Amino acid sequence: MEQLQNKVAELFEKGTISLMIGFQDGMSKGAVPCFVESVEQVKLLIYNSYCKNNLAVYLHKPEVKQAKKVGIFGNVATLRSILQLLSENQFWNIELTVMTINANQEFILFESIAEVEKYVQANFPQLTDEEKELIEKINTMSRQERWEYWKDLFSTCIKCYACRAVCPMCYCPQCTVESNQPQWIKVSAQTSGNMEWHTMRAMHLAGRCINCGECGRICPVGIPVHLLTAKMNLDLSKEFGSKTGYSASNGYALNSFNPNDKEGFIR
Amino acid sequence: MSQFEPKIVAFVCNWCTYAGADLAGTSRAKYATNVRIIRFPCTGRIDFMLLMKAFQNGSDGIIISGCHPNDCHYTSGNFHARRRWMVFRSLIEFMGFDTERITFSWVSAAEGAKWADLVNEVTTKVRELGPFTEFKNLDYNSFNQLDNGAITK
Amino acid sequence: METKLLQSSDIPKLFDNLIKSGKVIIAPITKKSGKVFFERISSYDQVEKDYIQTQFSAKSVVFPKVEELFTYKKTDTGIEITDTLSQIPEVVVWGLRPCDSSAFDYISEFFLKENPDAYFARRKELLTLITISCPKADDACFCTSVELNPGSTAGSDILLTQMGNEYYAEIITEKGKAVVESSSDLFTATEPKTKDEFLAKITYQFSLEEIKERIKTAYDNAQWKHESMGCYGCGACAFACPTCTCFDIQDESDGDEGSRKRCWDACGLSLFTKHNSGHNPRKNQTERRRQRLMHKFKYSVENLGIVSCVGCGRCIRVCPAHLNIFENILNVTKE
Repeated sequence: MEQLQNKVAELFEKGTISLMIGFQDGMSKGAVPCFVESVEQVKLLIYNSYCKNNLAVYLHKPEVKQAKKVGIFGNVATLRSILQLLSENQFWNIELTVMTINANQEFILFESIAEVEKYVQANFPQLTDEEKELIEKINTMSRQERWEYWKDLFSTCIKCYACRAVCPMCYCPQCTVESNQPQWIKVSAQTSGNMEWHTMRAMHLAGRCINCGECGRICPVGIPVHLLTAKMNLDLSKEFGSKTGYSASNGYALNSFNPNDKEGFIR
Repeated sequence: MSQFEPKIVAFVCNWCTYAGADLAGTSRAKYATNVRIIRFPCTGRIDFMLLMKAFQNGSDGIIISGCHPNDCHYTSGNFHARRRWMVFRSLIEFMGFDTERITFSWVSAAEGAKWADLVNEVTTKVRELGPFTEFKNLDYNSFNQLDNGAITK
Repeated sequence: METKLLQSSDIPKLFDNLIKSGKVIIAPITKKSGKVFFERISSYDQVEKDYIQTQFSAKSVVFPKVEELFTYKKTDTGIEITDTLSQIPEVVVWGLRPCDSSAFDYISEFFLKENPDAYFARRKELLTLITISCPKADDACFCTSVELNPGSTAGSDILLTQMGNEYYAEIITEKGKAVVESSSDLFTATEPKTKDEFLAKITYQFSLEEIKERIKTAYDNAQWKHESMGCYGCGACAFACPTCTCFDIQDESDGDEGSRKRCWDACGLSLFTKHNSGHNPRKNQTERRRQRLMHKFKYSVENLGIVSCVGCGRCIRVCPAHLNIFENILNVTKE
């Protein structure tokens, strides 16, 4: 932690960054995202096991974009989000300085995006056992059971859009759900509208989601929405070899094609 | 008692399947009348939200059809569509949707007979599956009340 | 105010009587995700007995997340409109906390004061609140800072406090009396008792009077930006909050039929104040979060005379960024 604070203070002094995104102490069981703009505030920065949020989402904030020279600190999921967003040309007007702490609690300051790529590729995460188990469980249910399972969960959804708000990949200035000419998805939080919303979200994230699991973790009603996108990614990597958050020049599975794609359901 | 007649919406591409359906018509092929055709310039234009909208508005089954791979009028539209359909189908299967109600096919402009067969097949299949009450009843709970968080008698 | 005693072993019987009365019973249950929510229940076994606070408030019994106001259907002879007012049943909410019941006082002021809302009025008329005081609290609770306490009777029809093997019942309203009368064999009379030793100890975070005074000049404080930058702009805090009452009206039609629905809305969402022209008077998240906090502690005081925060701590628990309302308020009102 001291290393982190010292290094960041150095970066401010050298003028390499004018804004640092990290974590500060919150109440028990939570660390609050922190935005440091001067050397004096650097002492607020911490790192502990409660620092789970994917901070890459804040890079879309207009106040952050204005700062132009931004330092960001995060775990592997955050790094992968940054790579995926770079491959979508989202940070052409920000100079990013990326930092992380590895499994041995060592602080790493990346000198270039190529280094970030190397680190990510060496530490490429898999789905957790819990997630794999739950996906398996759903896969082995009968179709009827699956329908009831998701219907049960979606009836409790309140359409708070927290899942959309925490996702670094959801950066559309106007989300499809916000259009009313035509109204694609009902505004009211009824089961049918909720199902449409989650289907739409999963489809728009297919091939882009890096499986940080934030959406499912922060859902106020406890719907495991990250499983939908996790399942999509499993299929996409199996069928098309797509790997998200792998490099800063990733392709996007759904805007490319292979004439030899195989499927078994088209008549 | 009148038999249930399914409402089927077909999303077809203008250059192949629509022309194929036209050929079925001019050849006076007899086939089920349950299909409502929506014409697109290319299958690549078909957004999955439109498919959801069709179910939302009460259709019981959907057909999506376009040019054969390598024959797309716009060269690669159907390749993109194919990828999108694979991903969409896998997602809705995971969510417990009855994928029997959605049929994808390649029908070329010369395959009028295939179009007629396809429509007949799908209509029979969806007629057997019955009306898509599962989707319509999503908003109703086990007390048969609108389950939207409001408590009613 | 009458006071009675109820044996803990008689609670299931009281419950059964309530269920048999034909009213809809809402109580806290633990869902698959491990979180506790208010839901319609059919037996006492389903009720969660040991919890600090539910994830969402009980406001959905009078202000549902989606409320169908009326439905219409075009027929050959005209348009049939079905009002849903007559479909509202009698409801009993069991097991809410004193902060939640006092929140009902606030939302009643909001919906009934100047232009009484017929739907709210009807639901409130048919509602009975049985509150259970708090033996435990966590560090997100701060009711004592907003001039409430874990044994407050505000807003409740009956307040139950567990004292060992029995519950001390304070019967506050006529509706409360009716509940006791329908199960009179289970209640015994008693002298008024002190509850303090059975109530949770809540850390005092701030003096409400001081905050109400200082917040009058806090609008332009540069500290707002630092307190709000972490805000993601979702609606979770507003939807979990027992006093947030903002709503949207949606007309949904399907050919010849349709309905008008009132649904929850949140001022944290960027679309909330966006004009058709594209101009947004609250153009960044800092301004939106500032609005939310100022509303709780200043604007609702100016409009309705009462602070609209009840210190339940739900906004802190559901916030994905772990933002803390009382810390934020303290920081922006520091001298």
